[in-house]
Amino acid sequence: MEALKATADINGADLVRRARAGDGVAWEEIVSLFSRRIFNLAYRFTSSVDSAEDLTQEVFIRIYRTLDQYDAKQGDLANWLMRLARNLIIDDYRHRQRNPQNTMADTVDDHQYHLRAVGTSAHKEMERRELAAQVQEGIDKLPADLKTCVILRDIEELSYQEIVDVLQIPEGTVKSRINRGRIELAKILRRMRVVTI
Amino acid sequence: MNSEKHNLIDCSQFEELLTDYLDKALSGETQKNVAAHALKCPLCHSLLNDVKEALVVCRDLAEPKLTLTRLEAKILERTVPQSVMHCEEFENHLTDYLDGFLPAQVYHRWERHAVLCDECTDLPGTVVRSLAACVTYKLEELPLPEGLHEAILRRTIGTEKAIRIKASKSSQIVEWMRNLRFPISVPQLAPVAMMMVFAFLVFSQTVSADGSLAGVYTTGYELAEQTYKQGADAWSGNAGNLSVGQEPVSGGTYVDSESNR
Repeated sequence: MEALKATADINGADLVRRARAGDGVAWEEIVSLFSRRIFNLAYRFTSSVDSAEDLTQEVFIRIYRTLDQYDAKQGDLANWLMRLARNLIIDDYRHRQRNPQNTMADTVDDHQYHLRAVGTSAHKEMERRELAAQVQEGIDKLPADLKTCVILRDIEELSYQEIVDVLQIPEGTVKSRINRGRIELAKILRRMRVVTI
Repeated sequence: MNSEKHNLIDCSQFEELLTDYLDKALSGETQKNVAAHALKCPLCHSLLNDVKEALVVCRDLAEPKLTLTRLEAKILERTVPQSVMHCEEFENHLTDYLDGFLPAQVYHRWERHAVLCDECTDLPGTVVRSLAACVTYKLEELPLPEGLHEAILRRTIGTEKAIRIKASKSSQIVEWMRNLRFPISVPQLAPVAMMMVFAFLVFSQTVSADGSLAGVYTTGYELAEQTYKQGADAWSGNAGNLSVGQEPVSGGTYVDSESNR
């Protein structure tokens, strides 16, 4: 969230102009501003820290190569960059759905990662992280098309039209998938006793 | 007088008969005697009122909790069965209900189903709690794994130690060109291009020999001078004496000397 606030204050056009000219510091600043957000988005789709790391690197390589295509008149840097990242991550997710043998998800490692990440923080903090891990587990159980729509709408907070643009499917389909995804996720979380009546 | 004394009851008898009195289970005569005692004795009168109020409260507590919505839903279910919503339709409208986008008629059918269907009644609450859990999940971002930042820099700019480089002149020019805002959009260029072509044809082929603006005026004066001279010659009958290399100026001012003869 801090990164989000920070991105509102930066001059994206200037950063990109300097990065295009070969200024490594400008590029490093872009990486610092967006890497955590992109990594978390990748993690939500892959459910694996290792896969999310690899995917984040691939996304930044692609961004670096396409910096020339950024046009400040078409919108700010955060929008352009996150749209590109989102498309790449969803493409990768769809590809892995079609080729399940390529999946690198490892829930055991992830669980250990969460425990490591918790450290010695307060009890409430631990509970929140545990809840987040359970929601991730619940989202993973959704069918691929519902999972994509739920993440884009309820986690990434995209509008219906933005989801239509990303997924290239009719708005009615987007709405019904979001609705079905929410209901299925609620039922899953109830079965997991994450939410109670 | 004797019969009146005989019918009088004391306070302890009043208490014993009180419940039957309120249930109207006493014989007519005894019922009257209990009532008469209550009117005479202020303590027993107060006791009678307290017990009556307590009974009203107890009766309210014992009534079944059938809300108006549920009752209304049940009545409509029995009387207008075609308006009943089924579970699948109920689920399809859930997000629109939560977003407040349901039309009034569908809204009421939806709420009636939510009240009556045991399978669905908890679903909206569960979905709302699930969405709340998603908010926690969204806010709980994972930290960036150690070394990822460096790995990205290594794979993009080839080094982990980024250095500040001042943009070269050529790249500055390229950036300047990229940001240049041309005032005329592409569709508007067609008439502009036509005007430029027309202007080129006029200036290059009609009047100006060297293509310059100064040449345009000079040539204009020369043509005017020739026209005047030709007109004067025609008037004086010397039309055939054109100087070498001098062409007749086209237009109405030239008079063919042969045809005049």
